[in-house]
Amino acid sequence: MLQVQNIEKYYGSGNHVTKALDRVSFEVEDGEFVAIMGASGSGKTTLLNCISTIDTVSAGRILLEGENIAELPARELARFRRERLGFVFQDFNLLDTLTIEENIGLALSLTHSDPGKVKAKVEAVAKKLGIEGILMKFPYQVSGGQKQRAACARAMVAGQSLILADEPTGALDSRASKNLLEIMTHMNQAFGATILMVTHDAYSACYARRILFLKDGRLFNELLLGEQSRSAFYHEILDVLALSGGDISDGI
Amino acid sequence: MTVSKLSIRNARRQAGDYLVYFVTIVLVASLTYAFNGLVFSQELLALSRQMAMVPPMIVFASIVVVGIISWLVAYTTRFMLLRRSREFGTYILIGLENEQVARMFFLENLAVGGCALCLGILLGNLLYQALRAIVLALFGMSYHFSFFFSGKAVALTLTYFVLIYLSAQLKSRRKIRKMRIYDLIYLERQNEREVVKSGRGRRVLFAGSLVLGTLGTLLLLTGDLAACLTGACLVIFFLYGFFISFASGVPAFFEKRPARKYRGQRLLVFRTLTAKLGTMGVLMASLALLFLGTLAAEGMGMVFQGMFQSRTNKNNCFDLVLAAEDPKVESYRDSKAYIAEKIPLKEDREYEIYLMDTDKIMAYTEVHTMYYRYYGRDAVMKESDYRALRAMLGYEDVACKPGQYLIHCLPYMADALQGFSEELVFGDASLTPGGVHTEVFAQHLYDYGNGGDFILIVPDALLEGYPVSHTMYVAMTREPVSEAQYKGICTIRDQIFEEREDPLEDSLLYASDMDEAQAASQTAMSVFPLFYLALVLTMTAATILTIQQLGEAGRYRMQFALLWKLGMDKKEMRRALRMQFAIYYALPAIPPVLVGAPLIRNMASQVEPGTMVGASDPLAITAMALGLFFLIYGIYIVLAYSSLKRSVLPE
Repeated sequence: MLQVQNIEKYYGSGNHVTKALDRVSFEVEDGEFVAIMGASGSGKTTLLNCISTIDTVSAGRILLEGENIAELPARELARFRRERLGFVFQDFNLLDTLTIEENIGLALSLTHSDPGKVKAKVEAVAKKLGIEGILMKFPYQVSGGQKQRAACARAMVAGQSLILADEPTGALDSRASKNLLEIMTHMNQAFGATILMVTHDAYSACYARRILFLKDGRLFNELLLGEQSRSAFYHEILDVLALSGGDISDGI
Repeated sequence: MTVSKLSIRNARRQAGDYLVYFVTIVLVASLTYAFNGLVFSQELLALSRQMAMVPPMIVFASIVVVGIISWLVAYTTRFMLLRRSREFGTYILIGLENEQVARMFFLENLAVGGCALCLGILLGNLLYQALRAIVLALFGMSYHFSFFFSGKAVALTLTYFVLIYLSAQLKSRRKIRKMRIYDLIYLERQNEREVVKSGRGRRVLFAGSLVLGTLGTLLLLTGDLAACLTGACLVIFFLYGFFISFASGVPAFFEKRPARKYRGQRLLVFRTLTAKLGTMGVLMASLALLFLGTLAAEGMGMVFQGMFQSRTNKNNCFDLVLAAEDPKVESYRDSKAYIAEKIPLKEDREYEIYLMDTDKIMAYTEVHTMYYRYYGRDAVMKESDYRALRAMLGYEDVACKPGQYLIHCLPYMADALQGFSEELVFGDASLTPGGVHTEVFAQHLYDYGNGGDFILIVPDALLEGYPVSHTMYVAMTREPVSEAQYKGICTIRDQIFEEREDPLEDSLLYASDMDEAQAASQTAMSVFPLFYLALVLTMTAATILTIQQLGEAGRYRMQFALLWKLGMDKKEMRRALRMQFAIYYALPAIPPVLVGAPLIRNMASQVEPGTMVGASDPLAITAMALGLFFLIYGIYIVLAYSSLKRSVLPE
């Protein structure tokens, strides 16, 4: 589904160039749940922004379903984002003037779906994520966990093929985090959603089936869940973190 | 850094952030100074005795302007205080005293007001030249630049601004002094309180306000004073009821029709608007009221201007006219003697206006035009007098063909009278229509003109034995009649009337030059203050709307940044922003336009027939008043849109 090939990203100019991504390459298969871990400044959000077309790469190619997203014109990029990508942000990014139902339905109205079917589609996805009871409420009337589930519903309601999550548990307490991660796992396993999640939290990362470790803009390790238990996977992650210098242990 | 330095720095930032407000204050200062210039201009006030009424009218309008601008300044100050309350809270948190913060905000606003005043006075000098050119043009004089600076005008403008600023600033100063850090930090979260809380209550209010609005508008159109006052009150109820209830009705409407809500950019537009309108219903109603005031003032100004101009044009042919039912009365006789003695004449003539024994033409015109009766029967004059008067005025000679009569009338009646085909009987003779003429012929002098709006012309012999309505004396002078000469005749007449028990005038005196000067003075006296008010009202309302809209720039920026991430096309974003803008600015303007347009048309239709014609036609006046309103309003909308588009749409 997703092929990231030798991408590089530089910021600044002249003598003040910062290399945020350095020859990063990996692939994500259809239906995978992949986490990218790294310390602050390791380049994980830059990587996600490049994949989500919010930012552009300095070199290399990103192919989504065989299509090089760097070559798409601005209008096509917008269409690409609204039809193929779903986003879940750390701070939810729900519009506070819209109800939860409308926030989810917004993604459908952007894709020019049949307006008559929007409400039914929203209700169906809300039911799957257990937020059907809060659809008429405004974001400020619901909890952080509920907001993030609403954001997940928005990310998948239009049938997006890849869900990009940037520190989705960053603003949640541990209970709400666990709940959200279980929902994301459910989205991945039951509905076949492909998820690429950026996190610095080992606990969140252990819900993924594969983890890519990023340090100073380069991929330096990869872990697979395989047949092991989540608990064992979690400890394996901690070991990698310890090897890497342990500066991304905030979540442990 | 001292408090005063911080104030200056913040003042500079304020002028940038609230540029629209700053520009409005500069424009208001320039308008106020320019009109104050008129108040103290000896050159313009000396143009006519009647111009003495101009200063009180302008001062009166200025007092209203001071009230409105005080509200604008108080509103904007409160708005800024709300937006910057967290900043002020932080100042106190780091150790500044409330008093110091209050003084800083006070100095900052005074600095902005002071700069606006200085720039306004500079600009006002240019604006004064424009006003001066208009006044001179009204008096038929040519404009030439002459530098004008009036210390008195500056002092009066300064006094108005001190009143405006002190009232608003002292209030906010008191408020900051009393506030706690917590209040300041959380002040931004406070909204306008919902006036009506229940959904049903709002629906009832919405429906009721529409009924009251319709009823109020109909009452305003009756022309009856008591009905108009009731109508005005109902319209005010309508505006407040409508805007308080409107925002809540829209979500309910879309809730029942989800398919409509999710079509195109509607969801975004309607939610952004209802979020805004839901908390500013009372303000929106007040702004709509200002817009209605603008339209009424503009309409009234245009009606007055058209009326004075047109009335003058209807009679403006003979230099002097005297008329009386009885030419032996003292006022007529002495006035005529004065003219003969003191005013060099080119030509003059005295003649009679007769009355027929029927009112056939009046009855006909009453059916076919909006004619007002001035006489009981149709007025008629001798052919010889008519031809002599036409020659005096330089008009083409016309004569009655055998067996025919002529009609001379105001242009508005011509079409209808062309269709009048009845024979008229004079003694033994029967006459048929022989043509209609419409040159200016002093026919709008009410009881004493060459007929009231129309007159019949028949061969002299046929009028033997017919009763005389009044005697007319008309003259063409060698030089324009001076104000001193006119005053001379008036003094004689005033003495005669003062000595009487019944001081009613029994004769008419008309001098076209004086009539023009009077129309010019009346225009300056009524139209200038009305337009001054209209401009200030529009600018105030548009500024508040724009401040509100630009104040949301941060929120809009976040919203559009998210939408861009979610894949919304930039073209669609621009369309959504445009639609949101269009509705936001149209909403407070629609009810005033719906009430104001028929009101202006009705005001213009109340003037006597034949007056509001051409560019002063009721429909033309309505269109011009609306056009002027939308032009000024449009400038604000375009400025606000381009500024917001630049700052909120992603690169």
